Amino acid sequence: MMGGTALGLAGLRRGSWALAALGGGLFLAGAAGVPIAEPVARRVREGDFGLGDLGDVAERLPGVAGLLPAAQREPTTTQANVTVAAPPDKLFRHWRNFRNLTELFPHLDAVEVLSDTESRWKAHGPGGVEVVWHSALDKVRENELITWHTLEGAQLPHRGSVMFKPAPGDRGTEVRLTLVYQPPAGAGGRAVSRLFGSAPEQQAREALRRLKRIMEAGELPTIEGQPRGNRGMREVME
Amino acid sequence: MRALCWNGVNDLRVERVPDPTILGPHDAIIKVNLSSVCGSDLHLIDGYVPTMKPGDVIGHEFLGEVVEKGPEVLRLNRGDRVITVSIIGCGKCWHCQHEEYSLCDNSNPQPAYEEAAYGHCTAGIFGYSHAFGGYAGSHAEYIRVPFADTNCFRVPEGVSDEKAVFVSDAVPTGYMAADMGGIKKGDIVAVWGCGGVGQMAIRSAYLMGAERVIGIDRYPYRLEAAQMKAGAEPLDYTRVDVYDALLAMTGGRGPDVCIDAVGMEADGYDTGIEYWYDRTKQAIGLENDRPAVLRQMIECCRKGGTLSIVGVYGGFIDKFPMGAAMNKALTFRMGQQHGQRYVKRLFEHIEKGELDPSYLLTHKWSLDDGPRGYRMFKEKIDDCMRVVFTP
Repeated sequence: MMGGTALGLAGLRRGSWALAALGGGLFLAGAAGVPIAEPVARRVREGDFGLGDLGDVAERLPGVAGLLPAAQREPTTTQANVTVAAPPDKLFRHWRNFRNLTELFPHLDAVEVLSDTESRWKAHGPGGVEVVWHSALDKVRENELITWHTLEGAQLPHRGSVMFKPAPGDRGTEVRLTLVYQPPAGAGGRAVSRLFGSAPEQQAREALRRLKRIMEAGELPTIEGQPRGNRGMREVME
Repeated sequence: MRALCWNGVNDLRVERVPDPTILGPHDAIIKVNLSSVCGSDLHLIDGYVPTMKPGDVIGHEFLGEVVEKGPEVLRLNRGDRVITVSIIGCGKCWHCQHEEYSLCDNSNPQPAYEEAAYGHCTAGIFGYSHAFGGYAGSHAEYIRVPFADTNCFRVPEGVSDEKAVFVSDAVPTGYMAADMGGIKKGDIVAVWGCGGVGQMAIRSAYLMGAERVIGIDRYPYRLEAAQMKAGAEPLDYTRVDVYDALLAMTGGRGPDVCIDAVGMEADGYDTGIEYWYDRTKQAIGLENDRPAVLRQMIECCRKGGTLSIVGVYGGFIDKFPMGAAMNKALTFRMGQQHGQRYVKRLFEHIEKGELDPSYLLTHKWSLDDGPRGYRMFKEKIDDCMRVVFTP
């Protein structure tokens, strides 16, 4: 976890990416309605996170985040990295077609493209509660970068970026997914974990893993539906 | 169908379970004709590998017939007689493309366990705990094989089932152990453990040009097989001091290549207090693996020599003689087998009569005798090398 954070900050300091949130929206969608704990809400209001106004997070976080203790910083920024044995343009095209993203984020039901920059996202949270929000693209650099942010009215505002960079040698493409979001509760990561059974970091990592498996292996390997012994079956039924 | 299921430590049961179905486009269903026990199963049965779940079908070394295939399986046909490599590669990731199939990025459907414990996840393995994917194993009438084009290999005509079945695991594991040793002409190789994998490592070392191979074990019938079938010089570690004997046999140099075909449940008979130190720590959970063989190999290996480790380890070891390893400038090579890399070569050796693994099959039993078969294999009674089930 610390390694990932360090990398994230390195990325932030280089200023080579903007912040946005796609996957963020998904786990956050589930966490919608969870009240923000007062100390956190106060810190956010007072701008302690540099997140008080999400509109200028991209500009402010690089300077502020590096000074925050890890415990406060981690719930707000999450990052995953993976190397995929495919050229950047192929991965970029796959991601740019937002309809493909439902396969990467299990809680995402549909993405509807409204215009060149705007899209409407529909996900389900715990108990099947439907969550809808709008996102706008910020930057699109062909075969390199896509960044986006949620528009006014999103229950859980967030920003995200995905970067594609050729890996050295014949190793394919390095993909980096970064999500910045407001923690839904005091212990943001833990609250999300309780709702979905995995931490935000885990969800970002899983999304990139699915991308890798779809692009490389052409399927998502599974054991769901395979035979098991009776005792195992009984346990499942109970 | 019937299947041999793990239900707890030392609790195996033959149960009726649903037949497997095609779950992915690259899957094939194999009707199992032969399915072998393996020493590494004992770690699961003895409870040294966490992430086993009651109802898991075990077994990973098998031969059978393709009876069904997914829409994207192109190289196999129904009716093909095949062996399947026990460790699953997707065939497409960087590691598979570089013939490091057991490091496959994609074949493990449950990567979180290994990522937490090892930092990265490795390939899925049939019937080998959920950390390694949780795939249902081969001690069953049918088994589903993912990425079948990559993992199933047609058995050449003229090679019997009994010779071919071990090309699934024991033969490539032993062969890879010898391969990792980087054996050069004139090298003397010592192999710890004369079970199925050790026997194949001995034979493979000769095929790669070893001058002499020494097989180390405690069971007379295994040492006899190592000598008579594989051509090794036998060493019974309960009767001699291994270090003294190996140095005497190598002009004081020590073996050039040391192969560990034992792994985490080493007996450590001649190490007395050391064994009980490790065994006790293992029992109370302070140490996962007993590294008696590793320590001995480091001590015995010639300066600048190579240790090749294919015996299975799961977690942590204690009292690792790093000083000896570093100052003697030893090379360590290790890993689960990349069988897909070797299968073609192995069948060629078998067809030419240079390799005959069939003597490992000492007992051919019905799957219904599964629990009894494993007990016999574990306790090494009736000169049991391998029990192979006929589902």
